[in-house]
Amino acid sequence: MLRLVFACLLLAASPSWGLDGNDLLKKVDRNLEPENYEMYRKLINIEPNGNRKEFVLYSVKKGRDKVVALFLEPASDKGRATLRSGDNMWLYIPNVGKPVRITSLQSVIGGVFNNADILRIDYGAEYNVEGMQEEKDGYLLDMKARSGEVAYDRLKMWVERKTVLPVKIEAYAASGLLIKTLHFKDIKDFGGGIRRPATVETDSPLFKGYRSVMLYSALKRRQVPDEVFTLNYLPRVEDLRK
Amino acid sequence: MKPGARLLLVLALASLPVSGQEFSFDAAQYEKKPYELTGYLELKTERFSLNRNGAFYDLNFFDRPGTENIDRYGLLFKPSAKVRLGDAVTVNARAHLEAQRDSVQDASTNRFDEAYLSYKPDPGFTLEAGKVAMKWGKAYAWNPAGFIERPKDPNDPELAREGFTLLSADFIRNFDGALQTLAFTPVLLPVSTQLNSDFGSADHVNAAAKLYMLLHDTDIDLMFLNGGSRTRRYGFDFSRNLGTNLEVHGEWARVHDVQRGVTDSRGAVTPGRAHATSYVLGTRYLSERDTTYIVEYYRNGAGFSEGQMNDFYALVESGMDRLRTTGDTTLLRRAGALAQAQYGRPNAGRRYLYARVSQKEPFDILYFAPAVTLIANLDDGSASVAPELLYTGITNVELRARAFFLTRGARTEFGEKQNFRRLELLARLYF
Repeated sequence: MLRLVFACLLLAASPSWGLDGNDLLKKVDRNLEPENYEMYRKLINIEPNGNRKEFVLYSVKKGRDKVVALFLEPASDKGRATLRSGDNMWLYIPNVGKPVRITSLQSVIGGVFNNADILRIDYGAEYNVEGMQEEKDGYLLDMKARSGEVAYDRLKMWVERKTVLPVKIEAYAASGLLIKTLHFKDIKDFGGGIRRPATVETDSPLFKGYRSVMLYSALKRRQVPDEVFTLNYLPRVEDLRK
Repeated sequence: MKPGARLLLVLALASLPVSGQEFSFDAAQYEKKPYELTGYLELKTERFSLNRNGAFYDLNFFDRPGTENIDRYGLLFKPSAKVRLGDAVTVNARAHLEAQRDSVQDASTNRFDEAYLSYKPDPGFTLEAGKVAMKWGKAYAWNPAGFIERPKDPNDPELAREGFTLLSADFIRNFDGALQTLAFTPVLLPVSTQLNSDFGSADHVNAAAKLYMLLHDTDIDLMFLNGGSRTRRYGFDFSRNLGTNLEVHGEWARVHDVQRGVTDSRGAVTPGRAHATSYVLGTRYLSERDTTYIVEYYRNGAGFSEGQMNDFYALVESGMDRLRTTGDTTLLRRAGALAQAQYGRPNAGRRYLYARVSQKEPFDILYFAPAVTLIANLDDGSASVAPELLYTGITNVELRARAFFLTRGARTEFGEKQNFRRLELLARLYF
């Protein structure tokens, strides 16, 4: 009888999304960021000899698949802005003076991060969960890209049961080659009910000895007009900052 | 604890990778300021190896024969300033201050590339007044539909250019469905003897406009220019991603009543007037090895045919013969005027190929990008090949080494250029 009560309690305590990987992924997406937000990030590329190069970005996202990022540092990249609307991506370089189309696998900064990492949209918008495995402290999601436009063909995401936040993600090419691994660290309270990892470290077997780190700050909910996510507005993204 | 051991313990603790200490970031230090000053200082040195068999060498050096090389040193300061006047108004300026010294002459240029006021009451509307560098068209090396901008140098397509004084507005609307964005950019560009005098004939207010659409994930622009300083012209462009690593683009322009004087080999110029259609088709491809390929085909509707270019080169030869036999430079000076007006402009021919291959970070050298660029005249088979090395690993410093090698053939575009080789070293310091 005691065992039955315990089993019932366990079932009641289990979240309803526990059985569906895509629902779990939606929850992960919302726990990582609100659907509409603004935030600041610092990207640090660390070379094997310890040399570092740092970039600071301001980003705004709306809905599932619209995001824009503006470089604030270093001075050589200041004013560069990248826009993503679904599978479309553009880069604006102040000197060039007009936005050009880019592809998700390119990198506007060099190093391990590519454009898809910088302009990341909801995982659920790009990937379908094909398999979910229950592990000791969480779940392992096996995700397949919804289309050929997505930068990584497959993702393996380890999700912590307690926080419903990713701990580690492995990104694979269609050939099965491991392209990079993301490690989520330092869970921080950003206010407004947002509690998520403030550090994402990335390494890649393609860049042996190199490391990239993404630090998050001032992540908060913000709703901006749709017109912000257009090619014509790209040179003016700075105006959104307060 | 002994002082030595204590020191060792402190050093050991300091070397531990404590995440909070190793990385820190607070966005508060990036608050927007009421004004900004950015830009770069560029130092450049170039060596031009002169092509003593080239028509353009003859035109430029007939009075200084024997010159074999030119060494040039350049200093360029390009500051940009922005002042925010409230939430909706900014004043923007970008200056171009350049000094050059070489063995032939010293030169300096001081101007504002841009200086304008921008009124942005909301993201869907912007009004700009002043000197603005508009950039239209989707192609990389050539922009036949760039109706209100100064010509692009295909050797340096990403170089900032000087704008024109104009009044422009920008209306943006977003929608759900196949048509995701619609943006309309009308422009008024006045020309007088004092204002925009190099745009075209004076005493006209030229009207131009661009309509942008993001339709079925494809960028499409329709553009036109009319008004009198330049003849009527209209065009369109498109750009689309075909995958995570492949982009295609195109640009088409029709220019009415292009006036062109075509010379024969004796210097008799036949004036002509015709409509010209130009277009560019191109692609950008990123391979699995991080190699980027950009390829473009350019059809210059207002360009000269191979035979017409040959007549011009023959005219220069005749001019040189006359100089040698009689000392008379009249024919050479006539050819020089034609070169300045039409025959000497970059890519004056009809059909061109642009191909650029760049490799991101080969041999695991971060921020290092070697590249090679080919520009070929498809009519006469001549070409310029430019290998380059770019390094951006030092924060706010860009270092570039480039060489241009031109094919050497008589009566061909690149074979008749003033140089057969150019070496260039460049350092940019950003602030």
